[in-house]
Amino acid sequence: MIGLVDANNFYVSCERVFSPALEGKAVGVMSNNDGCVIARSAEMKALEIPMGTPAFQLEGLRRRGAIHLVSSNYELYGDMSARLAQLLRDACPKVAPYSIDEMFIYLDGLGTTKCLAIGAALRRRIRRHLGLPVCVGLAPTHTLAKLANHVAKKQPHYQGVCLLSENSSATTALLKQLPVSDVWGIGKRLANQLAINGIHTAWDLRKCDHKRLRQQFSVVLARTALELRGTPCLQMNALEQPRQRIMTSRSFGKATGIKAELYGALQCHAQRSAEKLRQQRSLTRAVLLFLSTNRHRKDQPQYFPRAMVPLPTPSDDTRIILAAVREGLEQIYRPHHHFIKAGVMLVDLVDTQQQQLSLLQRPAKTHPHLMETVDAINQRMGQGTIHFGMTDAQAPWQLRCAHRSKRYTTRWDELMEAGTHPGAIQAFTSPP
Amino acid sequence: MMSLTSQPLPFPALHGRAGFSGFPSPAQDYEHRTLDLNVRLIKNPTQTFYLTARGDSMEGWGIFDGDLLVVDRSVQPRLGHILVAMFNEEVLIKRYALHHGAPHLCSSHPHYPPLPLDDTECQLWGVVRAVVHEYLP
Ligand SMILES: [Mg+2]
Repeated sequence: MIGLVDANNFYVSCERVFSPALEGKAVGVMSNNDGCVIARSAEMKALEIPMGTPAFQLEGLRRRGAIHLVSSNYELYGDMSARLAQLLRDACPKVAPYSIDEMFIYLDGLGTTKCLAIGAALRRRIRRHLGLPVCVGLAPTHTLAKLANHVAKKQPHYQGVCLLSENSSATTALLKQLPVSDVWGIGKRLANQLAINGIHTAWDLRKCDHKRLRQQFSVVLARTALELRGTPCLQMNALEQPRQRIMTSRSFGKATGIKAELYGALQCHAQRSAEKLRQQRSLTRAVLLFLSTNRHRKDQPQYFPRAMVPLPTPSDDTRIILAAVREGLEQIYRPHHHFIKAGVMLVDLVDTQQQQLSLLQRPAKTHPHLMETVDAINQRMGQGTIHFGMTDAQAPWQLRCAHRSKRYTTRWDELMEAGTHPGAIQAFTSPP
Repeated sequence: MMSLTSQPLPFPALHGRAGFSGFPSPAQDYEHRTLDLNVRLIKNPTQTFYLTARGDSMEGWGIFDGDLLVVDRSVQPRLGHILVAMFNEEVLIKRYALHHGAPHLCSSHPHYPPLPLDDTECQLWGVVRAVVHEYLP
């Protein structure tokens, strides 16, 4: 059985771990440079505020206290993601991260009841030990596990854990009402082509003759149909969900601890990822890189580091992505470890065109070139070198650093505070 | 920019190794010889978070304003433990203890009465495993 553990509204949930007062409130996480919504809490979704909404359109709601906006805190999200992966690794024989907040676990040879129990236990443990709410989807294949997770999220009566066996009535009922475009790896264009051929739901696809699918469409689609029937035949990396994240990773033929070799591998992955990024006309906001030692070699020191490097502005420029990779490797590299795998993930992708549009839509008062210049100076000379002489009410999102939460798990001077009695934090914090 | 790992930090002693020439012993040998405070204070690195204490009402139990708290979220709380808990949207450090026979969150200061656990919106955040009080900056 394959499980997919996926955090609910991951960025918002990370913020809530360290700012419990945000629990139950409408919270949006904003991108750093273009100031638009990149993650929403359930309450924010209920207000029908779409992804990508620019901050200035939300200024009214924010000032009235109806919503809370924070700017993205990639260090925090990256660290919490590493903790989530490690917690799963400690509990499961095999774990494969699929995105920053989605991890596959492999529960080979275990029955339905046992798998459900493990799923529920993991969900409880992740909530208690890390403070993160997750849902778990379980199924015989990656494609069905992804669907099971979707169901666990959408239908509360599953209590966050859903198992779809290949032939259960629940699976049939679900596939019959699920649009084929909701199936893993099937984009809008392909869904339209399928519709012309009378394939509208996931069930329609499952029933198709896979040889016909292979001739008419592709090997991957034929395999997807088989996966929907419960026959595992897709590797986790075979399917890229466009416009969400791009991952390139590979195991080394021979373990290595040499920094130059690791950089060489990461460099290849970064270049490949950047190509894919440009192909799908996206820009990335952050670069995540990771290394793994061989967990089966109990005699060797184990180390599964990750680094998340936010980019100054969303980019598809290979040089910028490579610079981020170098910076990240510098941070996580430790000698005397034998690494068997390295990977690069581009996260928080944004549509190139949409990005240009959002720059045009900036409020007239703020000149985009001016903003870029200011950002550049602040980045070079230190944050806050140039300030705007605006009152808070006028201040647009560009004063965004004020909205970033502290980097609670990666900076000694930004730790979460706990009071010894009500009001202690205010009373004992010296005025700046 | 950050490095991400929930594992203990490398040994500072490793940097001093350059001075020992002629001993090509692998780094792991050192790990057995040099005491590492991480190993002593952090039993579950993945579930351990650091917090700063604010306030003076836990001084009686050795927690001073500005102290570093090593909080382990994987520990099951028991009576006598020092907890970090959410209480009315505030994050508080309290001792989990019996008061008139019922579980309460207590401070060491008489000024702050014990908070009863049953009739409040109180949620556990983690258990304090250790407190670090630094005497020099
Ligand atoms: Mg998620």
